[in-house]
Amino acid sequence: MTFANIRNQGISPSEILQQERARLAERDMSGDSLKFLSANTRLLDDYFRRSFEISLTGPVMDLVKNPYAIIALGGYGRKEQCLASDVDLLFLFRGEIPASADDLIREVIYPLWDMGIEVGHATRSVAECVTMAAKDFDLFTPLLDARFICGISPLFSGLMDQLENAVISKNADCYINWLVKRNQARHQRFGDSANLLEPNIKEGRGGLRDYHTMLWIAGIRSDIRQRRDLEYYGYLSHDEYRELIRALKFVWRVRNHLHRLTGRKCDQLYFEYQVKLAEVLNFEKTKGWEPVELFLGVLHDKMECIKQQHLMFLYELGISGMRQGRPRAAKQTRVKGLVIKKGKLGFAASRYILSDPKLLIAIFEESAVLKIPLNVTARRLIKDLLYLVDKKYRRSGAVMKSFERILVASSPEFNVLSVMLNTGLLAQLIPGFKGIINRIQFDSYHIFPVGRHSLGTVRIIKSFGTDEDASGYPFCGDLYKKLRNRKILLWAALLHDIGKGIPEGGHSLRGAAMVHDLLTARGQAIADVKRTCFLVKEHLLLMKTATRRDIQDEETAISCARIIKDAELLKMLYLLSVADAMSTGPKAWNDWTATLLRDLFVKVLNIIENGELATSEAVEILTVKKKLLLGAARSPAALKEYEFLFQVMSPRYQLTIDVEDMMDHVRLYQKLKDTDFVWSIVPAVDSNTRRVIICARDRPGLFSRIAGVFTLNSIDILAAQVFTWRNNVALDIFEVKAPVDPIFEDRKWARTGQDLRAVLTGRLDLAALLADRLFISRSAKPVFSRPCKIVVDNEISSFYTVIEVHAHDFQGFLYQITDALLLCNLDVRIAKIATQVDQVVDVFYVRDFDGRKVDGSDRIEAIKSEILQVLPGYSEEEKSHEEDRSDNQTV
Amino acid sequence: MKKIEAIIKPFKLDDVKETLNEAGVQGMTISEVKGYGRQKGHKEIYRGAEYVVDFIPKIKIEVIVVDEMVEPVIEKIRDAANTGKLGDGKIFVLPVEQVIRVRTGETGPDAI
Repeated sequence: MTFANIRNQGISPSEILQQERARLAERDMSGDSLKFLSANTRLLDDYFRRSFEISLTGPVMDLVKNPYAIIALGGYGRKEQCLASDVDLLFLFRGEIPASADDLIREVIYPLWDMGIEVGHATRSVAECVTMAAKDFDLFTPLLDARFICGISPLFSGLMDQLENAVISKNADCYINWLVKRNQARHQRFGDSANLLEPNIKEGRGGLRDYHTMLWIAGIRSDIRQRRDLEYYGYLSHDEYRELIRALKFVWRVRNHLHRLTGRKCDQLYFEYQVKLAEVLNFEKTKGWEPVELFLGVLHDKMECIKQQHLMFLYELGISGMRQGRPRAAKQTRVKGLVIKKGKLGFAASRYILSDPKLLIAIFEESAVLKIPLNVTARRLIKDLLYLVDKKYRRSGAVMKSFERILVASSPEFNVLSVMLNTGLLAQLIPGFKGIINRIQFDSYHIFPVGRHSLGTVRIIKSFGTDEDASGYPFCGDLYKKLRNRKILLWAALLHDIGKGIPEGGHSLRGAAMVHDLLTARGQAIADVKRTCFLVKEHLLLMKTATRRDIQDEETAISCARIIKDAELLKMLYLLSVADAMSTGPKAWNDWTATLLRDLFVKVLNIIENGELATSEAVEILTVKKKLLLGAARSPAALKEYEFLFQVMSPRYQLTIDVEDMMDHVRLYQKLKDTDFVWSIVPAVDSNTRRVIICARDRPGLFSRIAGVFTLNSIDILAAQVFTWRNNVALDIFEVKAPVDPIFEDRKWARTGQDLRAVLTGRLDLAALLADRLFISRSAKPVFSRPCKIVVDNEISSFYTVIEVHAHDFQGFLYQITDALLLCNLDVRIAKIATQVDQVVDVFYVRDFDGRKVDGSDRIEAIKSEILQVLPGYSEEEKSHEEDRSDNQTV
Repeated sequence: MKKIEAIIKPFKLDDVKETLNEAGVQGMTISEVKGYGRQKGHKEIYRGAEYVVDFIPKIKIEVIVVDEMVEPVIEKIRDAANTGKLGDGKIFVLPVEQVIRVRTGETGPDAI
């Protein structure tokens, strides 16, 4: 039973509303959003007035005795009704609420519900309203936006007067405090919308609520009635008001479209809607940027604006609710043209800036030094006078120095750079920065726009080692403190993503080029510029390698080390990688990635600090060698094979072997195929020795077996090198004395070859044969001149345990030692054997069969005692003495 | 239907993902996990100070497949994730009682 049917006077108010709303949504969505909001409000007003006019219940109710009014509250009261926002209503009665009120509400509100409009209504008497508002601020807040729609208007003004007396005049400060606190809680819950990927455009920081809060506070303080009054009452400057309205209009437009898209009141900008919204808001793909990225860039910019205005508003009223930053003892500034008033830094007068534009940067430097924030007037002045910062200004050495002092000023919590960004000065000083301030990357990975992310990276680096350090390891602080030149790292942190301002291509390379131009033009030392550029260019290297390569493979660390080459640079790169990841978001930085990255860092550092493998000379030598080796290829197929072989050669092999020998080895390897082993025996030119090169599939114990076969055939080993290629090919190079009988040398080698084949295929029991032979020599105790020594070192390499054996030579020495290692389940990956007269120094790089280092102290002891057993005449006293020494010794 | 859980080395994820896509696996769940098996943790030494890495970062892949797919999928994962070294990971196969697609309410193999 609706009144439309009964009155039957043409179409009902609800039908009119429905039609008009549809038309409005169709026609005016893309126009001025503010007009849309008021039009939408007007439609609802019209509806209520019409309903009121034709109401059946209205006349029955005794208007004279108990007059009533319909009041709009909240957003509807402010005439800012978005497409699917709630309609907040108050049915206000002078006296007690009559029973017929229910019928009235049914008449007026039910049709709206039927249309799918969400209506929240309260039915109260004036007295109830006042007592409830005084008790519960939650109920008071919507009344601040109250607007009379229809009914008896004096009722409304009466309510307003009573509220003024009962609440506003008594509890104003209390209420404002409550409002500010509530706001902070809300921000905590919804986060910073100006920075979030899926911002809540109403409740988040920088959302519409921030603007409402400003209105409410101004309303309490100055009884303002509409938003324009914010300017008239001096809360905002003319420009600020204009900027705010522009920002609001954009957010409202987004909100309207979001409501239409979702078909409901939805204020959270979920990923799924972002692309569609960018499309309906007519963002177009430009210069390689996706429409959605541009859209989010603008949105974040606008919300940042609302956020800043809100902050400034609170700040100026002295009700920020945050730390006031007021110095305990009044600080003084010595810079001419600057003053400190009420604990904030400002310009003495604007003419000082005009006569000396350097004040624009000097004020920030002073702010960083004294840790005093800028006052609002100063921020406004800076914004207005940005034009003073021109090319000449940017290239001034003094400005540069000032900026650098700001950059390195060590205070992560007092962020001057961020204020520089907000006032626009940063982008004016570093033009490349403009492109990344609101550069959004449309993925679930980057939480912040690039500009903010860059500042965040700087802040995090500066926090290393302080109380704010969130990296979770003492490591970073330690590294940061010991850096010789932090400036380079901080420049790199600030500018590492600057290449993202230009859409095409890889941002690291482009960024490095931009940084090069930028810093050179500003007169930085060439060496510093080079290092900064390197950091920018390679800022992803460590993270990419840690997550995409096998970091348990020495090759990985070596290739990184060869790119970086320098320990200090590596440390900076590591700190940059950590800070970059931390300020990107939780997906980029968590305990998992942290472990990977740190692991890689330590390994690379080890190689750079201990090794000859990654110096710049080494890199140069390798380039030459590779070129020469590939140059020897006679066909494309051969070229391919050579390329592959060069890849799999171990770094040590690549570095220590001549190209001619390499080619010999490659030819030898090509003969290997499926045979057990191949070898070549080359007589030395200038001495009576032979070089025996053996190439075979690698297997545990290969080295000791070869050594054993040599011993069996009375071939004396002078020196040996063991290499393992990564295609599982072992290349063992022996220097041996020529056989005693030169006439039958060939026969000797032939027999040795036979033995070796037999041993490798398991047809010959080497151990048994050698046991007889070695028994005699072992019991013959040699005369010592120097003591033996065994050193087990786990620090020199991240990948191998290094065992050094210093001892006297005896027959079968090498076989015995390597056999002992084999017994300990160790795989010899690299060996350097050198004999000088009767003193042997053997170095073995070993891993266990699982490919791990040996770092348990009991296992190290076991290895030592196993080797000691084969060293003849090594007495107990010497043993304990030696162990003490070897424990102390590190290389 | 079976659920196949594989713990693999992080840098092998792309390989495994690719080969599973080729094998016609429609979807998978990936998590970054930490743990240790026989590989145990290891020590890293930096300036004399030891940093013990107790748990080693790994990737866990979970896929649900029909019974006939179990063998080939295991085969594919093994092929792709194998480096021949310790710590290459493990593959677990678990029975799955039911699969329901939330949107449509389809059940069983159709919902995979």
